[in-house]
Amino acid sequence: MFASIATIMVASMALVGCSSGSTTAEGEPDTSLTVGLLATPGNLDYTTTAGAAIPQALLYNVYEGLVKLDNDGTIIPLLAESWTVSDDGLVYDFLLHDGVTFSDGSPFTAESVKFSLERVKDNWTANGPAYLDPIASIEVVSDTEARIILSKPSNSWLFNMSGPVGTMFTESALADLATAPVGTGPYTVSSFKTGDSLVLAANADYWGEVPYMTDVTLRYFTDATAQTNALLSGDINLISGISQFQLVDQFKSNTDFQVLEGASTGEVTLSMNNASDAFSDVRVRQAVMYAIDRQAVMDTANSGYGLLIGSMVPPTDPWYDESLADLYPYDPDQATELLAEAGVSDLTVAFKIPNLPYAVAGAQVVKDQLAKVGITADVTVLEFPAVWLDDVFSSHDYDMSLIMHSEPRDVNAFAAPTYYAGYDSPAVMAKFAEADAADATTYVELMKEATTTMAEEAAADWLYLQPAISLADADLLGVPKNTPSLALDLSTIAR
Amino acid sequence: MVLVVLRRMGVFATTVVVASIVTFLMLSILPGNAARIALGVQATEADVAAQATAMGLDRPAVVRYLDWFGRVLIGDFGTSTVSRQAIGPEITDALGITVILVLTSVVLALLFAIPFGILTAVRQRKPDGAILSGISQIGVAVPGFLAGMLLVTVFAVTFRWLPAGGWVDPGENFKEFLEHLILPAIALGSVQGAVLSRYVRSSVLEVMREDFIRTARAKGLGAGRALFRHGLRNAAVPVMTVLGLQIATLLVGAVVIERVFSIPGLGSLLLDKVALRDLPAVQGIVLVLVVFVLALNFLVDLAFTLIDPRLRSAA
Repeated sequence: MFASIATIMVASMALVGCSSGSTTAEGEPDTSLTVGLLATPGNLDYTTTAGAAIPQALLYNVYEGLVKLDNDGTIIPLLAESWTVSDDGLVYDFLLHDGVTFSDGSPFTAESVKFSLERVKDNWTANGPAYLDPIASIEVVSDTEARIILSKPSNSWLFNMSGPVGTMFTESALADLATAPVGTGPYTVSSFKTGDSLVLAANADYWGEVPYMTDVTLRYFTDATAQTNALLSGDINLISGISQFQLVDQFKSNTDFQVLEGASTGEVTLSMNNASDAFSDVRVRQAVMYAIDRQAVMDTANSGYGLLIGSMVPPTDPWYDESLADLYPYDPDQATELLAEAGVSDLTVAFKIPNLPYAVAGAQVVKDQLAKVGITADVTVLEFPAVWLDDVFSSHDYDMSLIMHSEPRDVNAFAAPTYYAGYDSPAVMAKFAEADAADATTYVELMKEATTTMAEEAAADWLYLQPAISLADADLLGVPKNTPSLALDLSTIAR
Repeated sequence: MVLVVLRRMGVFATTVVVASIVTFLMLSILPGNAARIALGVQATEADVAAQATAMGLDRPAVVRYLDWFGRVLIGDFGTSTVSRQAIGPEITDALGITVILVLTSVVLALLFAIPFGILTAVRQRKPDGAILSGISQIGVAVPGFLAGMLLVTVFAVTFRWLPAGGWVDPGENFKEFLEHLILPAIALGSVQGAVLSRYVRSSVLEVMREDFIRTARAKGLGAGRALFRHGLRNAAVPVMTVLGLQIATLLVGAVVIERVFSIPGLGSLLLDKVALRDLPAVQGIVLVLVVFVLALNFLVDLAFTLIDPRLRSAA
């Protein structure tokens, strides 16, 4: 989703404080880590507050669910040791790890599973409580066995359980979710100063393997240059997911640092209001597809970093189809022809973009390229998130916008007729529904068909996939390369 | 004298009330929906409307204003719609940081401006005086944020002597506190120091032409002694006025410097809260800033009467 534009996180690992590298003065291993991020959490309660900043810091670190996504985007066990699914796809039997406790000492059992998941429907207002709609009932079979029964088979359900909505809470610590989160994870929150820092300490009673880094400080920056300066000066050790790519090259030639390039789930999207007069005709949208040189936009907005995708699917999803990147090659003549065919001339569109660096830079290139085929784009820069959300997202008062959709597997949401894109295809929606209920193989096929149709019908121009670039101190190991989920998993990082 | 103070306090109170109304009105016409920001893009319009009700955003503006300002009068700034913490402590924490930063930069500015200003005045017609004067002109022309970025590039990134930003409370680690304070304080104070030195210079030049200095010289005092014994106190009056105004400017300048150095002061807090449309918090912060600036001017006025006995009788 777009909220994450604001939440792109940059964690940078430089030498902390000094250049001592892997050991402290006493020769002990240095197990403290400072990560530089953009977009601070306003509070620590992701059950009622949107945005990627809170799950980025807390998910998999402080909070855990039954399953998690590994760095390649595969669902793996977490609090559930294993699980079985009935042949009809409706009954999930989870075997839970024994002897797990929350950081306040209360035990984690199948009762916690029932309590946490049943709480979502009525108490969660953010981060997609509807993801758990397929659940019909939850049974406590024993302390370590939980049975979840679905009302219909759902392929996306277990994936969504790896995100925030699948988090396990204890009833004993719900009073102050905004400042004092209590989970079963490898870290606990030791302090939080909004706009400044969040300090995590290793949970000594963690049920799993205790992480290498015992003290982790997440420091929040408002400016990408300040962030890279902090890495260069040794104030921080890691920037995970840098947002301004012109800042990357200086680190490539510097042996004190490593540059890790991975895949994100952030599709930078030139959205067209399919319900507006300007873009209700598919030929006009296709004309835009031919009119835009996506490589040129990526070169300008992202210093060339990124991947041309042509659909709303990143390579970490099983239904990724790389051929879609070439579906609409840059061809202004074809664009002009399509416009003439649609009977459109002198088209002027309201191009409302958020005040984010990549959008402002990219919009300029888009505007120039549209002008070449006779489309005038009136660019208005709106404050993000406040005004953009109001004008474009809620009121649909726009023809064209440019924004990154960073949430994993958000293509279904994008296709909903009530969504701001205004794309209305009952056939595609039916296919998504069919896919969700199908067996694993058919699921992938049907998802591929539906997302291909969306690309062919030019529901939007998915310009490129934002790369996940991490900049780190050269001696750091196990830095997560990809960002398949919202979480920044700190448990694998070592020196 | 008492009457003057009372009258000024009346003006002070009225200004605060007017400022609170203006702040409230301006924020209520600002586009953007706090409830939508809180719930994000996955929430439905119905969810957002329910959230707005829960936040009290659907009440009439007059009710919201009276409710807010009434509480402020008894010292309750309310609860942040974003952090869900009491706003009062959030503001005082951030204000403490900004005040430390501003006062340090004022001290640095004075330490630079007074000797430099006097020197350029005394050496007015000498080549070195002209060169010094030119230097201060350059200081005036360099914006604080640029000075900040240059300082970071040189002292943090290149030499790694000092941190590039961030903040450590003095109680936590005093040495690190000073290390984090020095660059932003210099960046913030440099422009004001240069500006102030030019006021000191012109004020000293003016005083040196006064009759009482000529009289002092006629009694046999040297130029330096005449200036130090009789001149500086007189030269201080206009400089004080400027300093009072400058502290207000520094509070605003701190907003930018806090961003450059990622310092969690009042400016950073204000910008964060505006972005999230945390209106109760924004209103509180703006009101605190207004009161702070007014109080400052009030104190400067009082200080005049102490420095200059002539202003006492005039009152």
